[in-house]
Amino acid sequence: MNMIAPVQARIDYRHLVQDGRLHGSLYTDPAIFSDEMERIFHGGWSFVAHDSEIPNSGDFVVRRVGTQTLLAVRRKDGEIGIYYNRCPHRGASLCQSASGNRSRITCPYHAWTFALDGRLIGLPDEDAYPADFSKADSGLSPVARQDSYGGFIFVNLVPNGISLVDHLGRATDLIDNLLALSPTGRIRLTAGWMKHKMRSNWKMIVENQVDGYHAHAVHGSLITANRVFATVRDRKPTSPTRVRDFGKGHTDIDHPSDYRAAGDKLFRWTGGIAPERLPNYVKAMNDAYGEAEATRLLIEGPPHSMLFPNLSLAEMNIMVIEPISPTESVQYTCPVFLDGADELNERTLRRCEGAMGPAGFLIADDAEIGEHTQQGVSNREPEWIILSRGLDKEIVQPDGVRLAGLMDETSQRGFWKHYREVMSVADGDAA
Amino acid sequence: MTASPVDCKSIDRATIEQFLFHEARLQDEHRYDEWEALWDDDALYWVPMREGADPTREVSYVYDNRARISSRVRQLKTGLRHAQAPQSKLRRTISNIEIAWGDNELMVEANFVLIESRRQALTIWGGRTSYVLVPVGDDIKLRRKTVVLVNCEHPIDNLAFLI
Ligand SMILES: [Fe+2]
Repeated sequence: MNMIAPVQARIDYRHLVQDGRLHGSLYTDPAIFSDEMERIFHGGWSFVAHDSEIPNSGDFVVRRVGTQTLLAVRRKDGEIGIYYNRCPHRGASLCQSASGNRSRITCPYHAWTFALDGRLIGLPDEDAYPADFSKADSGLSPVARQDSYGGFIFVNLVPNGISLVDHLGRATDLIDNLLALSPTGRIRLTAGWMKHKMRSNWKMIVENQVDGYHAHAVHGSLITANRVFATVRDRKPTSPTRVRDFGKGHTDIDHPSDYRAAGDKLFRWTGGIAPERLPNYVKAMNDAYGEAEATRLLIEGPPHSMLFPNLSLAEMNIMVIEPISPTESVQYTCPVFLDGADELNERTLRRCEGAMGPAGFLIADDAEIGEHTQQGVSNREPEWIILSRGLDKEIVQPDGVRLAGLMDETSQRGFWKHYREVMSVADGDAA
Repeated sequence: MTASPVDCKSIDRATIEQFLFHEARLQDEHRYDEWEALWDDDALYWVPMREGADPTREVSYVYDNRARISSRVRQLKTGLRHAQAPQSKLRRTISNIEIAWGDNELMVEANFVLIESRRQALTIWGGRTSYVLVPVGDDIKLRRKTVVLVNCEHPIDNLAFLI
């Protein structure tokens, strides 16, 4: 007999997401996937682009958020407009290329033309429309809300609900930590994005971004083949590195806790570049922050974090997770260039290529294991995934941040706790 | 490696083609050490994300100097590289070979089509490769290999084998 899955009227996310375990269907059920697109990606804040990607008037990028394709454009007044990639006339998509520069936006279908601020400024044979046709009301549709923090631009496709700053919560500290590695407090995401097909659910990628437990099993080939990689961090279960849950689904692996414990050596986070090789950068940091603070920053390095739902500040890389279907995603990776650190930036580029993306010594193996996990979890038994590692040993700080050991699953639980809240709110309410 | 006194113009097309076919077969058959031995000391193995990219400012899928080619091979040889365990079954054809004979180097361009079979999936890869070859003693060495995938601007699958 064929097994036919029962029709679910309303999915009970409080049942599917429990404190130490998850239901396998969370990674496979198309109904859950479409709920996520609505509630998390359309109804919440997600990262869409970085300010530095579109510096000049007319620069644009096309980005997907949930099921929607958006156009982020630098307007003539210097502001950024974010519009649905759809002509208000008959619906054709306006930009086919992923990025570029245009002084105005012309639809390929009937040549309706829009200014960079979205106004309809021209259409062939305009007089043929009836008297009640309003040119002023026929411009591009902007997203309901957009906001930015530290150059990271986020969108929310519904008009009401919490502000970006409330959504980010303590994660603004993580962004601040990254920006502080630049003597001017600015980064540039101008190197382009590696685009990597992942044959796994987007949430598996989120979980893996802040998983301190898999390195030996998944990255054993690199640890064996590359001594520097193997020794720059303490990867043992006794490592001083903490994983942290900041609330609102934002989590990290606090590598600075390891670097601090290892002493006063700068730049371990670069793979161990000698400070003498970066004299201008070190000087600029000392000048900008004072020697004591600059030293602290250069010992601790960048965050290794996952911001709910799609942005990972992955040390000197930014990674963005794009859900395609329950079983497919795309992972985007861009190295972080620090303003005022030219000596470091090309090294960052080379390091990104070594580790990340489809040919990277690290991420190709994460992609492979993600695919195995996706295939495995499509089997129906055992029904539940175990996510309780370190559950009884977590420390809750006075500020509410939850801490556990490097290999504990506190970071994944932090994501899921917030997921459960967002997915369980009644329609029309905002989490 | 010091500059070779061998005149590139004395190397005929058949010899150059044989070198390309041999390199392709070593990659297809995961003969990592033999493949690595084809490289000159001054080496660059590059898979850009777009044609005409500036690798000093733009990120590439692969940008391996000689040391990183060794690291790549070393990792593959552990047998623990999940993305190549099991190894992909690979066969590629190389055609449309165009050769420019320089004084010290051979500049070669060719199209390729590569079929990858892994688990249940058959994946087609294709693109144009440019090679810089140099004569070293009686051998030809690979100094530079740039592989521009036709789909390099779009999301690609794992590329953990040698392309
Ligand atoms: Fe990993």
